[in-house]
Amino acid sequence: MKNAILIASLVILPVNTLLAASYTVDPGHTYVSFAINHLGFSTMRGKFDKQSGSLEYDHASKKASVTIEIDATSIDTGHDKRDQHLISPDFLNAVEHPTITFKSTAADWNGVNLVSVTGNLTILGVSKPVTLQVNSIKCGEHPFSKKQVCGFDATGSIKRNDFGVNYGLPAIGEVLDLQIELEASMN
Amino acid sequence: MEQLLDRPEFQSAVIPFFLAMLLYSGLKKITASAWIWALFAAFLVSASLINGFTVTPLTGTRKIILLVLASLILAGLAPYLIQQVKMQRAAAPILTLLALLWVFGKVVARMEITAIVLFLAGGVGLVLWLLWTFDRIAHDDSRFHGAGFSLLLGTGLSATAAASALLGQLALSLAAASGGVLLAWVLRGKATGPGRVSASIGTLPYVLSAALIGLAAVIFARLPWYALIPLAAIPLATSLVPVKSDARFFNALFNSLPGLIIALAVSVWVWQAESSNSSGY
Repeated sequence: MKNAILIASLVILPVNTLLAASYTVDPGHTYVSFAINHLGFSTMRGKFDKQSGSLEYDHASKKASVTIEIDATSIDTGHDKRDQHLISPDFLNAVEHPTITFKSTAADWNGVNLVSVTGNLTILGVSKPVTLQVNSIKCGEHPFSKKQVCGFDATGSIKRNDFGVNYGLPAIGEVLDLQIELEASMN
Repeated sequence: MEQLLDRPEFQSAVIPFFLAMLLYSGLKKITASAWIWALFAAFLVSASLINGFTVTPLTGTRKIILLVLASLILAGLAPYLIQQVKMQRAAAPILTLLALLWVFGKVVARMEITAIVLFLAGGVGLVLWLLWTFDRIAHDDSRFHGAGFSLLLGTGLSATAAASALLGQLALSLAAASGGVLLAWVLRGKATGPGRVSASIGTLPYVLSAALIGLAAVIFARLPWYALIPLAAIPLATSLVPVKSDARFFNALFNSLPGLIIALAVSVWVWQAESSNSSGY
């Protein structure tokens, strides 16, 4: 019997290490924000208030993947009229394309740590590869829920006209800086 | 020069106005469809400056640009392609309804059944009404272009106030082009309206552009749907003006006046309603 358990453990152990743990994005502690140049004078910042997603992460087996879905209508720049303009056909066209998605296709490890995630960002129905630099990761047990939780901080840049968001160019900046702060709980 | 081309007032007012006026003046002796080709060139240039010369991704707005250009080509070729008035009268609403489905079908399909019924009833009603009212004035240049100019001006200003400068600029560029044609006609033109033969198809550029941009501003931005009702009354109001002067200037002025008053009143109303929703932007 002992031998059977030992053999079973030896078989299962490597399989477990190959399977990354699944996490669900905590929308209450996830912030997708952006910054863009405004007429050359200043930087306008905003965020999205509704997002969801999932990720697979396992440090030991060096596996990581992430999917994030952002509700385009939830854009918030702290100014209602500007937000209405941003979801209009001039920019995000949120009625026709209500969801912005990022689906990772590859993860880059520097031997020890995850340094970047490359994936397809879809805006206005146009998918383009984008690389997000991972600035920090922390995984551990949540002090209150006792669940396993991971937090990521990633940044990247896109050219909005690559996605067909051309309105206001070049007066309103072409390059959009993205910052994603994400917290996810293990399923 | 490049900086000027980036400015909205040049993209959707100055350039289409002067381009349409010059082209109409140059083409009017060659073809009775001079106004159509003048509008086509002006809108093509304006839309390229406003939107960039691209059709991808093929959003509703870009579909509208393509459809307006297609309607102008069709209106220009209709006298040669479809010579029977009955055929034109049947083709115009069918083509317009197909255009509505192409632009809004995907979005409307996601709506609740009540919203779908309201859209179909309202959208189809608007299109048929505009076709009928424009058809009634198609033989009269000053009324026809005066109504087209006023309707697109009102649609453009209202769409801009309702948070879509892109849709607004597209309508305003057509209004400016139409204004350029009207002014050229007043100054030294000759009768060049679409005429009886091409009446139905000839009205498509104004009907299709106003209906599509107006409905897009309601569905994709936040123009109140009831703002389209007074705007839709513009061609009818233009047809009711009793003035028929020998002087083209007075004809154009008096025939455009009711439509202009309605267009500006609706625009101011939408602007004020939007301004009261939030602080300045």
